[in-house]
Amino acid sequence: MRRLSFLIALAIAVPHRAGAAPCDTLTNPIYLQVGDTQLNLMKRLGRALRDNTPKPITLVFLTSGSCTNIAALYDGVKIKAATSLQYVPSVAEDPAWTPTSATLTCTLPADLLPDIANSALFNSACRTDAPPATVHLTQGPAQAYVMAVPTASTQTAITFEEAYFVFGFGMAGMISPWIDETQMFIRTVTKSTLLAWAANISVPGDKWKGVRLDGSPMVVSGINTGTAAAIGILGAEVYDANRATMKALAYRAKGQYAAYYPDSSSSSHDKKNVRDGHYTVWSPTIWMDTIDATSKAPVKPDARYVVDLIAGKTVTPAPNFGMINIIAAVGLVPDCAMGVNRTFEGGPLTLYQPTESCTCKYESLVDTSSCTACTTTCATGGVCRNGFCEVR
Amino acid sequence: MTIRSFFAVVPLVFAVACGDSGNSPKDAPQQIDAGAPDASCFDNPQTYNEIINACTKAVKVYKDSHPALLNADGTVPNLPP
Repeated sequence: MRRLSFLIALAIAVPHRAGAAPCDTLTNPIYLQVGDTQLNLMKRLGRALRDNTPKPITLVFLTSGSCTNIAALYDGVKIKAATSLQYVPSVAEDPAWTPTSATLTCTLPADLLPDIANSALFNSACRTDAPPATVHLTQGPAQAYVMAVPTASTQTAITFEEAYFVFGFGMAGMISPWIDETQMFIRTVTKSTLLAWAANISVPGDKWKGVRLDGSPMVVSGINTGTAAAIGILGAEVYDANRATMKALAYRAKGQYAAYYPDSSSSSHDKKNVRDGHYTVWSPTIWMDTIDATSKAPVKPDARYVVDLIAGKTVTPAPNFGMINIIAAVGLVPDCAMGVNRTFEGGPLTLYQPTESCTCKYESLVDTSSCTACTTTCATGGVCRNGFCEVR
Repeated sequence: MTIRSFFAVVPLVFAVACGDSGNSPKDAPQQIDAGAPDASCFDNPQTYNEIINACTKAVKVYKDSHPALLNADGTVPNLPP
């Protein structure tokens, strides 16, 4: 039964093959190799960029583990010819398409190095060597990770110590109800979801007990079809899309007095505890593109355009859509809305003030903003940006 | 002096010695009974420990957890090979 459920999940995850044209015939293709936690971002941003009149771009992407994606650019590992890649239709091609719809596929005509690679955690969690002189790293939005259980579970929280015993010792850890290793749905060792949690609970990725799964949809399926003792690890944005059938556990970090959800409550979507440091299991997304080793100029300027957009930087020409809206909609937190930072995976949090804050704008999208609205200036202080008086 | 009264007095001694830096835990408990939630929080967090325990209106979940394999000093043992 479980195998059948996994196959169903796989079938849902597989994009439609309708119109598998050669990828290089699409409008201004930019090739990306990203973590599967970034699928929702690829869909929404892909749609927006297809119809970005000032600079139309087609995001053509492949999902894979973060460590594999890093290797693509660090080591020059090309995507093989004839590989099926995903993209989304423009409004003209399919007006009815929504982010819940399947992606389309195209066929890669020749071996190709991706223009952009993505890691959903610090690259140093995968490998400690410095990036080559031809690779540029940009820090993007923050990505939270959760431990999720079926709605039938009576559990609401897990502590650092409990998580250490559950995933480091398995059944021998004696943390009820999580003592059935066939009900512990984890990821393979190249995946950011596993490595981020590994760094936070001090259990190295290769030491984890449980069922190692290649994709997030399989973890979702495992939780949904599992017993009340089931537990799985997911990117928060994957969990957000599946809240109807599971619940995230609040997490109490080592030295913390209480456990917290990524959001201010189990039902909100504001990522408040990620932004202020009460929820500690998050990583920055890292976006890599290729540069000239000498001049440091991007080899493909439109790839940098996409990276800078994702990172919340000002780009030229300005897009005809709101990037913060897309970041918020997919459950990520723009760097400009973060109040804490860290320098390595699972490392201690420090206070952080982004150069150009977007907290008011972000909160207006995910919660209720208490900031003053503005058009050009702020009489009571602050900087008028995105329609709100931001503190800086 | 009983052990219980000793542990009740020690935090008070430190509280007096430390004075008020403007960033002391609010409502710091005078006694921490096993399993009781610690409602301390920090108004002006600066360090990592203060950041993760800063005062907040967010929902807090207190969990009385006593893993059987914890070391006597509250640390976790090494992972199995």
